Amino acid sequence: MTVAAPVDIGTGLEAPAAPQRRRAGLLRRSFGHSGLVLGGTMLVAIIAIALAAPLLAPHDPYNQDLAHRLIPPVWQAKGGWDHALGTDKLGRDYLSRLIFGARISLLIGTLTVLISGTIGTVIGVCAGYFGGRVDAVLSYIVTTRLALPVVLVALASAALVGSSLQGVIVVLGLLLWDRFAVVTRSATQQIARTDYVAAARAIGCSTLRILISEILPNILNALIVVATLEMAHAILLEAALSFLGLGVQPPLPSWGLMISEGKQYMFFSPWVIGIPAAALVALVLAINLVGDGLRDVTAPENRG
Amino acid sequence: MLSFTSQRLAVALSVALTVSIVAFLLLHLSGDLATAIAGPEATAAQIAEIRHQFGLDRPMTLQYLDWLWRALHFDFGNSFYYRDTVTSLVASRMPVTMTLGAISLMLALVIAIPLGVLAAVYSGTIVDRLALGFCVLGQAVPAFCLGLGLIIVFAVHLHWLPVSGTASWKNYIMPSVALGWYAVPAVMRLSRNGMLEVLSSDYIRTARAKGLRPTVVILKHALRNAIIPVVALAAVQFGFMLGGSIVIEAVFNMQGLGYLAWEAIARNDFPVVQAVVLILAVIYVALTFLADVANAFLDPRIRLA
Amino acid sequence: MKTVYSSIAGLLAVIAIAGAPAAALASKSNDTLVYASDSEPENVSPYHNNLREGVIIARNVFDNLIYRDPATGKYMPQLATHWTWVDPTTLDLTIRQGVTFHNGDPLTADDVVFTLNYVVSPDAKVVTKQNVDWIKSAEKIGNDKVRIHLVGPFPAAIEYLAGPIPIYPANYFKKVGLDGFSKAPIGSGPYKITAVIPGKGVKMEKNTHYWKGSPLGQPSIGKLDFRVIPDAETRLAELMTGGVDWIWRVPKDQATQLKSAPNITVLSAETMRVGFLQFDALGRTPGAVPFKDPRVRQAVSYAIDRKAMIDNLVGGGARIMHSACFIDQFGCTDEGVPRYDYNPAKAKELLKEAGYPNGFKTEIYAYREREYAEAVIGYLRAVGIDAHLNYLKYAAMRDAHRAGKTPITFQTWGSFSVADASAFTGVWFKGDADDSSHDTEIQTLLKEADTSVDTDKRLKTYQKALKLIAEKAYLFPLFSYPANYAFTSDLVFTAQPDELPRFYAAHWK
Repeated sequence: MTVAAPVDIGTGLEAPAAPQRRRAGLLRRSFGHSGLVLGGTMLVAIIAIALAAPLLAPHDPYNQDLAHRLIPPVWQAKGGWDHALGTDKLGRDYLSRLIFGARISLLIGTLTVLISGTIGTVIGVCAGYFGGRVDAVLSYIVTTRLALPVVLVALASAALVGSSLQGVIVVLGLLLWDRFAVVTRSATQQIARTDYVAAARAIGCSTLRILISEILPNILNALIVVATLEMAHAILLEAALSFLGLGVQPPLPSWGLMISEGKQYMFFSPWVIGIPAAALVALVLAINLVGDGLRDVTAPENRG
Repeated sequence: MLSFTSQRLAVALSVALTVSIVAFLLLHLSGDLATAIAGPEATAAQIAEIRHQFGLDRPMTLQYLDWLWRALHFDFGNSFYYRDTVTSLVASRMPVTMTLGAISLMLALVIAIPLGVLAAVYSGTIVDRLALGFCVLGQAVPAFCLGLGLIIVFAVHLHWLPVSGTASWKNYIMPSVALGWYAVPAVMRLSRNGMLEVLSSDYIRTARAKGLRPTVVILKHALRNAIIPVVALAAVQFGFMLGGSIVIEAVFNMQGLGYLAWEAIARNDFPVVQAVVLILAVIYVALTFLADVANAFLDPRIRLA
Repeated sequence: MKTVYSSIAGLLAVIAIAGAPAAALASKSNDTLVYASDSEPENVSPYHNNLREGVIIARNVFDNLIYRDPATGKYMPQLATHWTWVDPTTLDLTIRQGVTFHNGDPLTADDVVFTLNYVVSPDAKVVTKQNVDWIKSAEKIGNDKVRIHLVGPFPAAIEYLAGPIPIYPANYFKKVGLDGFSKAPIGSGPYKITAVIPGKGVKMEKNTHYWKGSPLGQPSIGKLDFRVIPDAETRLAELMTGGVDWIWRVPKDQATQLKSAPNITVLSAETMRVGFLQFDALGRTPGAVPFKDPRVRQAVSYAIDRKAMIDNLVGGGARIMHSACFIDQFGCTDEGVPRYDYNPAKAKELLKEAGYPNGFKTEIYAYREREYAEAVIGYLRAVGIDAHLNYLKYAAMRDAHRAGKTPITFQTWGSFSVADASAFTGVWFKGDADDSSHDTEIQTLLKEADTSVDTDKRLKTYQKALKLIAEKAYLFPLFSYPANYAFTSDLVFTAQPDELPRFYAAHWK
């Protein structure tokens, strides 16, 4: 998966000068933004499905039944409601696997972003706030990270630590912090120049306190936007890693893995690959819509 | 300009140096090299002999410097799997990935820039919305899904294009579309934003006021200025594409660098892996350096900043 | 909706295939047979890989001393015109004259002596030692006479000479070394290698000077092009679009679908390949510790429903195996060998007895037929064992297995097409690199069996060893593999149960 260049997001995220007043209209603007509403609804629905997976799934996602394998989904001639989305090559219920798969994608997305967000924010805020040599060193680290080909390094690292769910999360978390760093750096730079930070400094607040109580809350919007986009990125990368055989291990019902396993049937039973692919696209689309929408409503002057 | 260039060059070189350390560590973290070189049935004595023979019993820093020195002379040792040098393996695969990357980038630019310009010119209208929607949707489709879909439709179903391999130029069409797809949203957004900015600037308004035809204004005056940041982005995207081509090469069974690295990873052939990581990273560093300099040359504001 | 979806599927299957010859890139028209397979031998030199793809190249490019007729099982002269046993450890052969290697060098007794002495030397690092370690040395005892000294009596010697022991050109090999040889191998067989391209495959051309009277016959197709395509779907798509002419290992589902295609012939045949689970009974990694207990290994054996796997996944032609060998091999028998018929309740009980009432976590390693391995995982899960799949390239899996890092290994073994149990059981239980039980009792029995000239005693000793292996459940045999070949209908190709596509015997319609 190629990565959109960080400059792309960086340019869209000029930290606004008057954060307090802006919040008033935020909610109203959010509901007026069709993309955000659509994406938000989809995302909430997927999260709800993931959380309620054991209640919703009609079957055990791991329960195999070789005698009933590759049953087509209900809309095809041989389908039936017992397996609404059919069964996979081992006779496991596809709908149940899809539902549980949402958990894995969301888990990977969330945890990866927590790790990468923490790393990236620390680097970005420090670079932006302290400037000078600190900035030079940290920016250099970011540049080095950007120079490393993500997919390749992730694959190699996954091979080294052994492919597993935890492994994928840690590897992606340690790799995908660059956008966080780039965006928080420029946002911090602007806020650090504002009067109220200068005032806080003047009354003798400690640096740590300024960073936590003045800087962080004001770059939060930007952070959330990057977090959503990075979450989508992490989910896509996991799918790619699993597709290449070095992501999570079977029998986990990861969507990427389901696509990879369904590939075998793509000529004669395209739904085997089409269903998880559609789920993946829907999730990533929802997250991206939310991310883009949040960017629009938090910084309306920078639409696009 | 000269100081700007030399400063950037220094950064680029030090980044390349750091990347080389990462690549070196990647090889050494992959396990005991002496055991790997000696093969699965070697005795302890044979392993010890190989350890000494390959200098693997020396301090790490010394090994690194030695490795770096040889890497600078394009000597990456031998593949653990193939009976061949890493350099000749890489050299034989390089053209495929480069060609793929170049075509993908061109394809992406040809689609994205006009789309971005249109979206900017008709900003706020349905055209703009459609273009942005296309971007968001495009970003959500995983490259390998797109690749598989293309194979089903254009190779198996319509019979227009070959499925896999690198035999002719036709083999590059589908992979380039799948790979270039990913650069489209970023390039489109940037050209749209750049165009919007330029269109609202004073000199365009002046040009318009002089009564020049809108197309002339857009193509001759606005686009030229809006394109500057896109040049930089294109270079960066090319670097990303080389790194991202691994998935596409796997889908289309193209024997490029990414495919080589992927197979090498699956076979624990880490001398090959580290060489590919290093080469791709250095290409990226070189590209961004050139883009920086080109940008500064085109836009004087940057080098003064 | 229904009609739309089914018509799309139908279109894909039928139209695509119907149009295949139009896009033909290589086939009858330019006399090039492009065949594709999933794996690439690490080294084309036949002694230095143990992949089937390597065996295929070996049989099409090199000559053996002796030929075994696949139809009758009779041994016939190939490079050796005549052979006699001087005593149980000495074999004399007369080498055919007038045969030349692809580079024009004549094939002489010296080449035979060199090859045999080279492969038994430790420097050769032959991958499958079992194939050659019965040879002590070879010497030239006359202009065209070669004498092979055996390590001990080895009745299966002729079978091995007719299988995995091709003859190398001494002068050329000495000149270029193994590295040079693996880049440009030279043999004397019906096809000569014109290019070895790492990652892509091997190109071969008809040897127009192939010696007359060879039991292999004269090659008919002008060029062979072996393409490595790891992806099963890509191989299938390539066949459907005419990019390749011949594929195999087509999964059951696709083979069934392909049968309705007009321009593609699908051939299903049984093979000697047996799939099995090998346990690390030595408990060399944390995940393998439970497998030190025979009850756990037996539990796993009881947990797997092989019949359901054959009926639903593997398809016609497969047979359940009960012994650690292929049932038609000489010496292989399942009489008196304990059977593990599907019995999950018993499996749970055994696990409980062994102290794992709630099962345990472990790792399973596999390199092909991922869905078989996943079905095994599903069965293990049903009795409480939580196994995760590590799906690797063959060489990586083999190395991990030999290093003792794999608690359960999903292996398959085609015995190098040698119709003797020693080529199977010996490889996995005689204490070599692939032996992960190191049971001295079994090792002794197998050594005894392999070296006894008395046929009856040989069979009995094998039976004893096989029984012991099954009792201790070191290795759980699953089933023999069927092979589904699919190829362009322009091609006349016949398959043999020894899983050796003989392209030299194939021809265009």
